[in-house]
Amino acid sequence: MSVGGAGRLGRILDWLEERAGWSFLVDLGKKKQVPLHRHSLWYYLGGMTLFLFGLQVATGILLLLYYRASAEEAFESVQFIMAKVPFGWLIRSIHSWSANLLIFVLFVHMFSVFFMKAFRKPRELTWISGMCLLFLMLGFGFSGYLLPWNKLAFFATQVGTDIAGAVPVIGHFALRFLRGGEQVTGGTLTRFYGFHVAVLPALTTALVGLHLLLVQKHGMSVPPSIEAQRKAGGEEAKSMSFWPHFLLRDAIGWCAALGVLAALAALFPWELGEKADPFAPAPAGIRPEWYFGWMFQTLKYLPAHILGIEGELLGILGIGLAAMIWVFIPFLDRNPAPGNPVSRLFTLAGWLALAYMAVMTAMVYLPQGH
Amino acid sequence: MSPIPEQPSRRGFLNWFLGTSMGAMFLSVAYPVARYISPPDIPEAQTSRVVAARDGELKPNSGKIFRFGSLPGLLVRTSEGEYKAFAATCTHLNCTVQYKDDTRQIWCACHNGVYDLQGHNVSGPPPRPLEEYVVNVADGEIVVSRS
Amino acid sequence: MRIPNPAPVSVLIVLMSFITPPLRAEEPPSQPSGPLPTETSCFNCHSQLDGAALEPTVRAAEDIHFQKGLSCQDCHGGDPTAMDDMDASHNPKKGWTGKPDRLHIPEFCAKCHSDATFMKQFNPRARVDQLSEYRTSVHGQKNAKGDGEVAVCIDCHQVHGIRAISDPRSPVYPTNVAQTCAHCHADAKKMDPYGIPTNQLADYKTSVHFHAISVEGDLAAPTCNDCHGSHGAAPPGVDNVTSVCGTCHPREATLFRETEAKKKMDLSPCIRCMVCHSNHAVLAPKDDMLGVGTTSTCTGCHAEGDNGYAAAGKMAQSIETLKGGLAKANALLDQAERAGMEVSEDRFALQKAKDGLVESRVLAHSFDLDRFLAAANGGIAATDAGVVAAKKAFAELRFRRVGLGLSLLVILAVILALAMKVKELGARPRV
Repeated sequence: MSVGGAGRLGRILDWLEERAGWSFLVDLGKKKQVPLHRHSLWYYLGGMTLFLFGLQVATGILLLLYYRASAEEAFESVQFIMAKVPFGWLIRSIHSWSANLLIFVLFVHMFSVFFMKAFRKPRELTWISGMCLLFLMLGFGFSGYLLPWNKLAFFATQVGTDIAGAVPVIGHFALRFLRGGEQVTGGTLTRFYGFHVAVLPALTTALVGLHLLLVQKHGMSVPPSIEAQRKAGGEEAKSMSFWPHFLLRDAIGWCAALGVLAALAALFPWELGEKADPFAPAPAGIRPEWYFGWMFQTLKYLPAHILGIEGELLGILGIGLAAMIWVFIPFLDRNPAPGNPVSRLFTLAGWLALAYMAVMTAMVYLPQGH
Repeated sequence: MSPIPEQPSRRGFLNWFLGTSMGAMFLSVAYPVARYISPPDIPEAQTSRVVAARDGELKPNSGKIFRFGSLPGLLVRTSEGEYKAFAATCTHLNCTVQYKDDTRQIWCACHNGVYDLQGHNVSGPPPRPLEEYVVNVADGEIVVSRS
Repeated sequence: MRIPNPAPVSVLIVLMSFITPPLRAEEPPSQPSGPLPTETSCFNCHSQLDGAALEPTVRAAEDIHFQKGLSCQDCHGGDPTAMDDMDASHNPKKGWTGKPDRLHIPEFCAKCHSDATFMKQFNPRARVDQLSEYRTSVHGQKNAKGDGEVAVCIDCHQVHGIRAISDPRSPVYPTNVAQTCAHCHADAKKMDPYGIPTNQLADYKTSVHFHAISVEGDLAAPTCNDCHGSHGAAPPGVDNVTSVCGTCHPREATLFRETEAKKKMDLSPCIRCMVCHSNHAVLAPKDDMLGVGTTSTCTGCHAEGDNGYAAAGKMAQSIETLKGGLAKANALLDQAERAGMEVSEDRFALQKAKDGLVESRVLAHSFDLDRFLAAANGGIAATDAGVVAAKKAFAELRFRRVGLGLSLLVILAVILALAMKVKELGARPRV
């Protein structure tokens, strides 16, 4: 039976089928059903995150053909890419914009999974692997931000690693581990580069593999309210097959994302700024990238001392504790049925967390009165 | 068997449209990437080394201004044929210096500053010597790099 | 051996100095004679006295004469071997001359310092014309007429502890000269009898020359003696100011001369460097010194309606245009650079503008409008080129938007095709 279809292309595909057996993927795709209900739109976010990550890998590989990871050459090499390499400006701007878009979409994906309670049994490991992926992506963002070695990045890294150093017990070691020494130097740059192009990608590959395997194994989760509705109404569970229906719609989203990124790259090219000078005083108004903004703003608002303990330390510990709770949500919100009041509390807590993060992020960009 | 006779041609048109537009999109991605990957005119940023001249371009006892990053440099070929290179920005008030073949010295026209062929400020207002660069001759090119 | 009671002996010495005949330039010793400086009877005795008699021994170790092996008797005569015997030591038959009187100190020092043969032993290149130079100076002329107040050798070089002139602690080391001159020349009590003003040091301290030599340590910068002479100290004549300043600023001096020759004018009566730049308070020149504004130095001589006034106005305007153009070009290039465009080549081309600016400022000293404008206009042309280059960079940025527009069209086509496909697949029965 011709798996490949008619024509020359079909004959090539048949040839490959005999040797690699690729058609099982199509079968899997056809078998896999994506539930159709009023919250189905959120299902596209996982694929969108994966697409943006793939784009980062592709543009990142292109960038590392010209980038130099030393304090003496990093800034100049990025300038070289922006100015002298044909379309270097496009690759670099897409990489920078897509990084931000990726993290934004990732947060939306995470919150949508949370509110749809998709973390419940048997998908606890999927959630935890996803949270680890979130931390890895934040690590990508933090390490990549330093690589152009400009003034803003230098000081943002200094502030960020200072905060890491404030953690009790392991803080100083963490600071030295991250910086490659006591101060932010060229050694920090090389180290961050190693994290960014080797360590984090390796870990991410493994975790994405696990995450996708688990998603494939368990299928798409249906929110408890829809489940209950269906059971009650006795209506047939509508769904569409992954291939070709869902994937084609995915593709529309990906093309739209590509268009948005191309527009951003051409209309708002990512600025290079000024080369970092370790001996110059810190400029006013240093802040980290927006996705760390809410943490940064929280620490700024905490008073210097609370009950004799340093405010910043309490802030860091508080945020760490909140993150831990969030990671282990599947074990806390065990029975997310529609009527369950405990579960509703967790949902409410989730909304509060989202609102808090949104407001705090906005506060970073409002003019400071004090 | 579809009852509507136009549908197969419509489907054919759609497939064609999809294929062609995707092909166009693929090209609009592949073209920039292909140009990006092929080596640019200069292989690397020119801040630490630059080709100042070709071998034989300068006669002995003459000098040439070349560009090093965004600042001028002075390449001198001494009467013995040796190459020397310096930053061509006068240390007094930043005018561009030049080589004088009659006195065999480097001279700044603005206020008569004079440097010798070691770059030392020997006469006039310049307070500091000129920065000297490293010169190498390779493959018929005179390559100047920062020491 | 009994050590004499110093008090009556001191009185005797003082009395003797009044009756000792004035010194003439005597023959210097042919070579350093006698025992080591610190082992002479002179040193031996005087180091145990006090007051004025002790003074010669206090800084003996720092004295250049002592370091060269010369000792008390080489200047003052006497017998350095006659230990503990003042009369024998102070023996006029052994050449003892005692303390020279102030008026005759120049000849006293010149005994050796004007003798080339003698000085050659210590420094083959030593100058021996200090006394003859001194006699040309105001100090020397007044000293010859009997004025005991004016400076003699020891007022600048000190005595009995004279450091080498290359020693940074010497009062005549370049960084210390101004203070040394000011000991008298900034003292109104001393200067009033001669009618000499005393503001020179204060003025000099505001100058760029003082800043260079005293703050930056640049010994190439001038202090009092560089313009006035050291031993032949006198203010330069009015006609000579250009030459004096031109010793270090030859380009500016040459520019005067070239214009004088070209225009067949004698510019020196009205243009001496100090008319615009002052003599002692030489400040960093500013662009507003040129032109017809309130801070201009041109309007000191030129009034509205004369050619000079018009030329000054044009020069100032030209410089302002050049500076404005340079600032604008740099700002635009900065903007382009921050947006990611590579502009180092354009900045390099802009160097010409900076060179033009410096060149114009120098050419103001030619007082020749055409020459000035040639340099300034060259600079202005370079700034215009810089602005053009920056605008090209922005045009490239805009070109990218066009490319973007096209690629967005393509992407929209793909999205449209996909959407249509999705719809079509939806119409077909599910597989």
